[in-house]
Amino acid sequence: MGRILSTSNGVAGVILLTIVLTAALFGPWIAPYDPQLFHSQARLQGPSATHWLGTDQFGRDLLSRILNGAPSTVLFGMGATSLGVCAGTVIGVIAGVAGGRTDGVIMRILDGMLAMPELLFTLLIVTFLGGGTLQALLAVGVAFTPGMARIARSAVLSVRTREYVLAARARGESRSWIVLREVLPNAIGPIIVEATIRVSFAIMIGATLGFLGLGAQPPSTEWGLMVSEARQFMFRNPWGVIIPGIAIAMTAMGFNLFGDALRDAFDPKRSL
Amino acid sequence: MNLSYLIRRLVAVLVVMAIVTVAVFAITNVLPGNAALMILGENATAQNLAALERQLGLDRPLLVQYFDWVSGVVRGDLGMSLRLGLPVAEVVGSAFINSMWLAGLALAAVTVISIPLGALAAIKRGTVYDTGIGVFSYVGTALPEFVTATLLLVLFASPANPIFPAGGFADPMEDFGLFLTHAALPVATLGLVLMAHISRQVRSEMSEVLSSDYVRAARIKGLSERRVIWRHTLPNSMAPAVAVISLDIGYLLGGIIVVEEIFAWPGLGRLLIYALQNRDLPVIQAITLVLAVVYALSNLISDLVIAKLDPRVRYG
Amino acid sequence: MNFLTLKRRHVLMGLAATTALPSISFAQSGQPVSGGTLKISHSTRIATLNPLSLSGPAEYPCIDMLYSRLTRIGFDSQPHPDLAESWVASPDATEFTFTLRAGVTFHDGTPLTADDVVATYQAILNPDIPAAATSVLNMIDTVEALDELTVRFTLSSPFADLPFSTAHANACILSRSALDDLTGLETRVNGTGPFKLETYDSARIVRMVKNDNYFVRGRPYLDAVEMLLFPDLAAETANFLSGTTDVMLTVQQADFERIAGSPGIGGQRVNSGRYVCVVMRQDAEPWNDVRVRKALAKAVDRQLLVDILLEGLGRPAYDSIVAPELQYATDKPEIAYDPEGARALLAEAGYPDGISVTMVASDRPAIRSQTAIVMQQTAAAAGFNLDIQTMPHDTYLANVWRKGPFYIGYWGMQPTIDATYNLLLTSEAAYQDSEWKNEEFDALIQAGRSTTDEAERARIYAEAQTLELAETPYIVPFYEDVLTANRDNTNSWQVAPISRYFYIENVWLDS
Repeated sequence: MGRILSTSNGVAGVILLTIVLTAALFGPWIAPYDPQLFHSQARLQGPSATHWLGTDQFGRDLLSRILNGAPSTVLFGMGATSLGVCAGTVIGVIAGVAGGRTDGVIMRILDGMLAMPELLFTLLIVTFLGGGTLQALLAVGVAFTPGMARIARSAVLSVRTREYVLAARARGESRSWIVLREVLPNAIGPIIVEATIRVSFAIMIGATLGFLGLGAQPPSTEWGLMVSEARQFMFRNPWGVIIPGIAIAMTAMGFNLFGDALRDAFDPKRSL
Repeated sequence: MNLSYLIRRLVAVLVVMAIVTVAVFAITNVLPGNAALMILGENATAQNLAALERQLGLDRPLLVQYFDWVSGVVRGDLGMSLRLGLPVAEVVGSAFINSMWLAGLALAAVTVISIPLGALAAIKRGTVYDTGIGVFSYVGTALPEFVTATLLLVLFASPANPIFPAGGFADPMEDFGLFLTHAALPVATLGLVLMAHISRQVRSEMSEVLSSDYVRAARIKGLSERRVIWRHTLPNSMAPAVAVISLDIGYLLGGIIVVEEIFAWPGLGRLLIYALQNRDLPVIQAITLVLAVVYALSNLISDLVIAKLDPRVRYG
Repeated sequence: MNFLTLKRRHVLMGLAATTALPSISFAQSGQPVSGGTLKISHSTRIATLNPLSLSGPAEYPCIDMLYSRLTRIGFDSQPHPDLAESWVASPDATEFTFTLRAGVTFHDGTPLTADDVVATYQAILNPDIPAAATSVLNMIDTVEALDELTVRFTLSSPFADLPFSTAHANACILSRSALDDLTGLETRVNGTGPFKLETYDSARIVRMVKNDNYFVRGRPYLDAVEMLLFPDLAAETANFLSGTTDVMLTVQQADFERIAGSPGIGGQRVNSGRYVCVVMRQDAEPWNDVRVRKALAKAVDRQLLVDILLEGLGRPAYDSIVAPELQYATDKPEIAYDPEGARALLAEAGYPDGISVTMVASDRPAIRSQTAIVMQQTAAAAGFNLDIQTMPHDTYLANVWRKGPFYIGYWGMQPTIDATYNLLLTSEAAYQDSEWKNEEFDALIQAGRSTTDEAERARIYAEAQTLELAETPYIVPFYEDVLTANRDNTNSWQVAPISRYFYIENVWLDS
């Protein structure tokens, strides 16, 4: 952690993440109003004393809606990424450890899946699943799997030939023991770094799906959906689109910066 | 770089295409509703629906529909759009050209701007320029396209401040100037993330090269700084930049979907969303095919270019 | 109702006389001049030009310009002569004879004859050809050409409103030869309308030019009309305000005040019977109990919906799908927002702790999910715990429409009470989705269409509407106004409340 905080990237990332995670953990409780309650006399207003960030087209308080949407946004990003990481790591480790034919077949399939641009892939899957937060989460997780699998595989491959692994094999340890005790702990570094950075992409894709109407559905307080609903009133009250947009950007940047700092911390030889 | 490698890569592209078409066909047919239902909407009595399904050939068994389509593609006939009643080739073709204009302009603008930007940041390492460009690239990658697009619209296309048109399209063949004003904001949106990626990559690569022994030797030899940069550093830093550009083609292909939707640009992205909503299978198939091929080919081309630029890379 | 003219109206003669248009104020500056190209912007794609089956909001103005029908609904929501100069009905309303205008030609020069009319109606009634007008014409037994200019319809059951049905927006008259190539109808047009098709690019523009041989002398005034697609509302608005387009076909409630208030622009707001309805499936609990339905009716704040969703551009409705403008429509008593009363009714019906239900809303048009969101809030105080589920329109059409127990519907205005009720509420209605099937109601509707006596019809329809209000088969919270806008240089641009008839041949541009 010390090394992370030593770079300006790291500091910025930690600050942003702290803000975002605080909102995610405590948001719904510290929100001043019910996020779904209409204040029909005060619609489409900018920031004011009573509504610090203004109101939307139904007269709902924007600050409360942002705070209310924080946990689901962050959870979406982490959930989708975890899904991709778990599935991808399993597949990648299998490919890396097994080698030979298995490895070859798995790589071909992964290449095929990677041949499709990520957003397009996610779009097709989520259309197939019918739209909705859970479906979007699954779609993003599935779309992340091939990329994570490749990272896991190359991490495994680079560890495979290290001395401690060779020593363990010479000792006669079982395959699974080696994987669990020697390979995984050392390969986990790059995986975690990649995962942290991917959380920011997951959040952005989730917001995009919400924006396109394929992710979270009204009256959810998902931030991408908030932008999409506010677009019609964009020229009457631009705060409706600016505020959720900034929230998304802050969150994505926080995870991005933190992930970069993590990468630097793990591998001090890399200079940026 | 030999011929057999090239051929193997091209075959791989064909295989990918085949897999993609089967997958898309399967997915779309599992979706609830079909093109006939979408055409009739809430006017769909059971009778009308059945009649239209017969007319569109949707009542045939799935395998028959698929092979019918494949045999058409092989002959160069992409079929008829179910929703629009026009040949798919025509519909997708004109959309493709419009998207290529957008993507091409974005790539060109980005390359012209971000390579010098990244180089500048590397040269002026540790200064305000460097930090500024660093911040810019982080913010750029953290903003989803729809946020950037909306912010640009609020800033530059609102009725109070109509510097640019708020979306839409003008034919570049008819009025290139007008076309450019319509293209300005979408290109800026797409370009922002690209610029962030590429300038970052150029900066990082150039930094490494600048501090390498090779450059130190050139400096010791007494070569001017300008010579060091132009003749020795830049060419060697380009390979990763090209790699990033090719990765970004993938991002571009996804990004145009959202950008075209917001700016009402009549390209492949908009058409795909429309086709998905209306279950227009022949159009969906054609578009995913085109996108997959473009992506695969661009990967291939960038691999070739990298090999040319960086003699250390060998393919067998 | 003028009883002196009742006798003549018994035989439902339509005459080629000019009829007074209702007073919708529009700027009229002097005498019409010929020339110019009218540019109309719209935000939904014109996916097809096949008049038999199309349903897109931007497609209707096109076929109103390119084709003609036997009769045509005017701005007064009454049928007027179009291709038919006059018509006569038998006293029992089972036989109608239409006399066509002489000298009408299709765009390719071939003459219009009764045979083309016969061919068109046979196609509409053909079960193998998808046609939207079938549901209002299915009482037709035979269509025959008595001579070159006379067509006779023989009906299997009496139907006094046939001239309304022949004015159905999708009942455009096609030539017999055009009907041989149904796929060609999607992209090619050979009609009798005031404009001819020049360019059809569904992604951007549909351009139509003046038909010099249009059967109304001196019309159209315009040289050409262009329909320009702007799928993004912000882009459409910006282009309209900057002068690139002359007419904005549909204006969203959110922008109407701003647009109408812009210099050089006039907004138009037409009261219409377009409505959102809450569909409650009544063959299962809880909606089979009329008390539960009435409780929900009390849990809706109608004025709030008009204020917030429609920005005041609409009228509260009180659970009848009959628009107030229709002939024989009765006044409906107001239903106030009364959460206490709703709670009491629910308790009476056996739900003392309230009800939890899932309400489905499609995302197209957006007003469905917006209505659901507002209802969720207002109904909570009344004991209804609504869980809103929004979904893409394609999923809704396939999985929920006419299948789900509780969802939001959206319907346009029909020209008659008969058409309105036969769409949804009779037991054999084409789009029945509430499972409210009432024999007494069916009998009333059947009786209403079988007689031409106006006083009798008024009495019958009044009874039907009373029955509808007693049973509350749907919750109808409001009627939307039709909103459109045009630049000051555009004269006589109007949209009918039924928003499928535009009379663009009367539009002219300042020189």
